Amino acid sequence: MAYDKPLPNPDENTQPFFDGLQEHKLLLQYFPSADHYQYPYSDRCYKDWSTDWEWRESAGNGEVYTWVRMHQLYHPSWKAEIPYTLAVVQLDEGPRMHTNLVNVPVEDVHVGMRVKVHFDDVTDEVTLPKFEPA
Amino acid sequence: MSDPIRGQTAICGLGITEMGKVYGHDASWFAGESIRLAVEDAGLQKDDIDGLLVNPGITGMMGTGISIPLQGYLGLRNLRLLNHMNSFGATASAMVQYAAFAVHHGMANYVACIFSDAPLQQGGSAGAAYGGAGRRGPTGMASLMPAFGFYGANTSYALAARRYMERYGVTNNDLGRVSVTQRRYAVDNPHATMRQPLTLEDYHNSRWIVEPFHLLDCCLVSNGAVCTIVTTAERARDLKSSPAYVWGMGQGHPGNFPHAEVEVGTTSGATIAGETAYKMAGVGPEDVDICEFYDCYTYTVLRTIEDYGLAKPGDAIGLYPEDPADPEAELPAINTGGGQLSSYYMWGMTPISEGVIQARGSGGDRQIEKNDIVLCSGNGGTLDTHGTLILSPNAN
Repeated sequence: MAYDKPLPNPDENTQPFFDGLQEHKLLLQYFPSADHYQYPYSDRCYKDWSTDWEWRESAGNGEVYTWVRMHQLYHPSWKAEIPYTLAVVQLDEGPRMHTNLVNVPVEDVHVGMRVKVHFDDVTDEVTLPKFEPA
Repeated sequence: MSDPIRGQTAICGLGITEMGKVYGHDASWFAGESIRLAVEDAGLQKDDIDGLLVNPGITGMMGTGISIPLQGYLGLRNLRLLNHMNSFGATASAMVQYAAFAVHHGMANYVACIFSDAPLQQGGSAGAAYGGAGRRGPTGMASLMPAFGFYGANTSYALAARRYMERYGVTNNDLGRVSVTQRRYAVDNPHATMRQPLTLEDYHNSRWIVEPFHLLDCCLVSNGAVCTIVTTAERARDLKSSPAYVWGMGQGHPGNFPHAEVEVGTTSGATIAGETAYKMAGVGPEDVDICEFYDCYTYTVLRTIEDYGLAKPGDAIGLYPEDPADPEAELPAINTGGGQLSSYYMWGMTPISEGVIQARGSGGDRQIEKNDIVLCSGNGGTLDTHGTLILSPNAN
């Protein structure tokens, strides 16, 4: 069956991030003046307001900051998945990412669980950065 | 040591419209009803109103909310204060604060602060009203949220709640104790939408929305409006209804959820806002008689109690009886009208409106006897914004 869930909609600023995902690379913005990794995208560092930055590849490691099980159906394409596990992962580089947890029974999920990125090629053109136990 | 402004201003008029699934009217209509009721409650005339502050609720994001044109709709002339304000759930307290400073310094005499919302459509669900609003077609990284299946405020708060619950060993049964407690109060509140008593079993049997939240952890969505009229203590004394004097005011806004520097789930803006308001009022947590706390979710109440210093971190649930449905159980004086969970969801005006009622002593069967210090909170975003009002029946 064709993938029917909502797909990301990159814009000019975030296209390199989504291109990176297709190459199974998790790119973060790195702002040298504050030695700060930032996610999600912003054109300005929230630490020192610098606008000078570069893309850097994340090691893709982190821990579960918090998580939930989604039971409510907001979009029909999720019907077969419900309930599914959503999480916020704190990357070792600092930023937090909203994501899905995969390859883990829900009984094992807990705050502080070590996880690593799992690139899910949901279509030929789109890869999503999900996380699984490290 | 209090601030000289303590007790110098007051809420002198309160208007609460019919609440809930009230169809066939837009947000302007509800706003008009609320100011009409508030002016009548205060014993004022329409032309006495010389300040108008508005907060449009979720319909503001849907493009049908109240804003500056409300002045024209209400036919208010020659206002001396006018603004559309929005810091989400903290706005109601921010409006009263701005109004209080304005009347204290002579910028206006009677400022009407209105929250009005009408997101519910006949045949539509409450979740659709909130989950879809303003979230159509995100681009860039924001578009990853629906791609992962994140939708709505329920999810954001459930994420915060989970972290709190795992950190302190708070259980779903504990959240249920908050829900059942507030429903008991709502039974005695004629303004409340949900007045059927609840048991813990009902709580556990209510469907999951986003685990750890059951349906009965989540606030209502309501059509309706609340208007409060703010004036000086001197003017308020001679009016028709008892004033709720403003003793303390504060705000606290911790910042953005995704930033790693913000501890989500175990802190909120109440800490900063509360310290500011306590200092202005010259009181502390030990002096608080009644709490009216923003309760978008059961969890939010526990978090707020702790951040105002009324319990140690993780201990707020200790203020609640094991089984609040037991008629013998003594309820804490927290959200005494049923709150947003059971009475009506008017963002920050829910706690303030019940705070005014309790400070006046007009709570009927749900009135708390000792009401000298009433602490009201507003909270917006995902614990991002916070406002505090301390009200009292006493001018000093």
